[in-house]
Amino acid sequence: MKEILISTRKMTKHYPAGEGKFTALKDITLDFGKGEFTGIVGPSGSGKTTLLNIIGSLDTQSEGEVIVLGRDISSLTTKESAALRSRDIGFIFQTYNLLPVYSVYENVEFPLLLLKMPEADRKKAVTEALEWVGLTAKIKSRPGQLSGGESQRVAIARAMVKKPHIILADEPTANLDTENSMNVLQTMQNLNRDMGTTFIFSTHDAKVIGFLQRKITLVDGMVASDEINGAAG
Amino acid sequence: MIWKLAWRNIQGAGLRSLINIIIIALVMIGIIWSQGMYEGWMRTAERESREWLNGDGRITHKLYDRFDPFSWDKSFEQIPENIQDLVDKGTAVPVLITSGTIYPEGRMISLIVKGIPAGQQFLKLPTAVLADGGDDIPALIGSNMAKSSHLKEGDIVTLRWRDMHGAFNAADIRIAAIMKTPYLEADNGQVWMDLERLQLMKDAPKTATFIVIKDAGDVPQTSDAWTFESIDFLLRDMHAMMKTEKTYGYLMFALLILLAMIAIFDTQVLAVFKRRKEIGIFAALGMTQKQIIRMFTAEGMLYAVFASVAAGILGMPLFIYFGTVGYRMPESYQDFGIEGLSEAVIFYYTPAMIISTVIIVVVITAFVSWIPTLRIARLKPTDALRGRMG
Repeated sequence: MKEILISTRKMTKHYPAGEGKFTALKDITLDFGKGEFTGIVGPSGSGKTTLLNIIGSLDTQSEGEVIVLGRDISSLTTKESAALRSRDIGFIFQTYNLLPVYSVYENVEFPLLLLKMPEADRKKAVTEALEWVGLTAKIKSRPGQLSGGESQRVAIARAMVKKPHIILADEPTANLDTENSMNVLQTMQNLNRDMGTTFIFSTHDAKVIGFLQRKITLVDGMVASDEINGAAG
Repeated sequence: MIWKLAWRNIQGAGLRSLINIIIIALVMIGIIWSQGMYEGWMRTAERESREWLNGDGRITHKLYDRFDPFSWDKSFEQIPENIQDLVDKGTAVPVLITSGTIYPEGRMISLIVKGIPAGQQFLKLPTAVLADGGDDIPALIGSNMAKSSHLKEGDIVTLRWRDMHGAFNAADIRIAAIMKTPYLEADNGQVWMDLERLQLMKDAPKTATFIVIKDAGDVPQTSDAWTFESIDFLLRDMHAMMKTEKTYGYLMFALLILLAMIAIFDTQVLAVFKRRKEIGIFAALGMTQKQIIRMFTAEGMLYAVFASVAAGILGMPLFIYFGTVGYRMPESYQDFGIEGLSEAVIFYYTPAMIISTVIIVVVITAFVSWIPTLRIARLKPTDALRGRMG
C-alpha cells in the first residue's frame, strides 16, 4: 500500500457568481499516493485548475476536507500554507510564470532562497536541476530570450530544485508543440521515476494521456472516472 | 534574502529603477543645496558680524538701545579700568555713539555718529584713515551711506551734534574714505570718526557706549552700568529672520519631498498593479505576504539608498561650486538690509544636514513604498496569478 500524501473527502468549492454561487468542484473524494504520476483530465471549466490550486494550498475548499502531507489545508494560516508551498510543493504553470526580471539561474534559485539554503548548496542544487532539464547553457538568459519549451523546462527545474514531495503542473504542455511537449513530459517522467516525486497535473492534451499512470477525469466539477494503467480505479 | 530579491528586482526593472533613483537623487540634491545655502548664509552673516562690528560679544552700557536715539544721550560712561586694560592690549575696542545731523547739498540727514579708536586692528573697519587729523575732522562712511547721502571721498560736510550737557554744536567733517563693508550695520545711516575726537566733541572723555570684545572668555567683572551681550544675543534678530527663512526652506523641502514621494508612490502603485502576476508567482512559490510586503518596501528603501549615492555623484560638482565660489545675491537684496548677502554666500554642508536628509528621504521612501503593498496583503495567490486585484 502506497503512502497517501494527499487526501480529499467530499471536497466542494463554490465561487460567488452574481447573487448566487457557482460550484466549481463537488464532492471530490480522492487519494494521491507517494510517487504517483497522475493526470487530471477534462474539458475547460471542469475544475482541474481549481482542484490543483486547493491541493497546492493556493486556495481553500468551501466544504469537505483536504489533507496534504498530514495537514488540513483549511486550518492553515497564510504563513503555514506559504511554508507548505515553499517546502513541499512545486508548481508548474501553463504559462510558465517565470519571473521576467530574473535570469534562468535566479529563477531556479528563488525557491532555495526562500528556504534559506546556504549559497554553496544552492549553487550545487541549481546546477543539478538545470543539468536535469538540459539548460546549463542558458544559465544567464532571461525568460524573454527562451523558447516555450525551454521556459517550461526552467519551470520544471524551479519546481524540482528543492526536491518537493509533490509537483503540481497545470496544463504544462498546453503552450508547447509536440516535440517540446514530449520533451517536457519525458523530463517529468524521469523525475518521477528517479526521485519518486509525486506528479499531479491537469491536462486536456491527448499527447499526455499515454504518459499517465493514473487518469482522473473531471466533468462539471465531479469525478467522472478514476483509472489506473487503463483500468478503472 | 529580502534585500537580495529587492536588489534583483531593481536591477531587473532597468530604466524604471533608474528614473526612480534619479528623481529621488534630484530631490536630495535640492534639499541639501538649499540647506547648504541657509547654513552658508548664516555663517557668512555671523562671520561678517564678528569681523566688522561685534567681535565675540560686547560689553554694552545698560541704557543703550540701538533703536532709541534718545537713549544714546544717556548710554555712555567712563570705560572701567579693567576693560581699558583689554583695550590697551588690543583685545577690546570701545565705541561711543551719539546722534547727529549732516547737511550735504543743503539737505538734512539724521544719522548715527560712532567713535572708534583709529588705531584699532581687530575689527575690519578701515579706521586708520580716521587718524589723519590736522585741522579738519576725518570721517569714514560706508558705500551705502555714500550712495544715499550722495557724499564722495574728500567731500566736506557740516555735522551737528549735541554734547553731553545738551548743547548743540557743529563742525565740518571731511569724508576721508568710503568703505565697502558687507556688514550693513556698520554702514547704513552712520558716520565713523576717531573715538578721542568724538569724546572731545561730546565733552565726554574716556567714555564709550559699548566695548567690542575679541574673546568672550576675557570678559571681566564690571559695574552694574555695563552688561555683556554675547554674539548670539547680538545676532538674535538675524537668527529670528533666518528662522523665518528656514521655515520657507522647510516648506520648499516638504514640497520637494512630496513631489518625489508622489513619484515613488505612483511607481509603486503602478508596480503593484503591473506586477500582480509576479506577486502571485512569489506567493505560489512560497513567499509569505509579509515577505512580499517587506520586499517591496526594501525596494523603495534601496531606491533611496542608491539615490543618496547618485545624489553624491551628480550633486558633487554643484556642491563644490557653491561651497567654494558661492552665490552672490542680486544687489537689490542689499536694499532690504539683510546681513550676509552683500558678498557671495559660500554654501556650507554639515554632516548632520546630509545624514538627516538621507535618513528622512529613506524613511519616507520606505513608507510610501510600503503603503501600496498593503493591498497585496489582501490578495489571494490565485487572483494574483490570474492578474486580478481580488
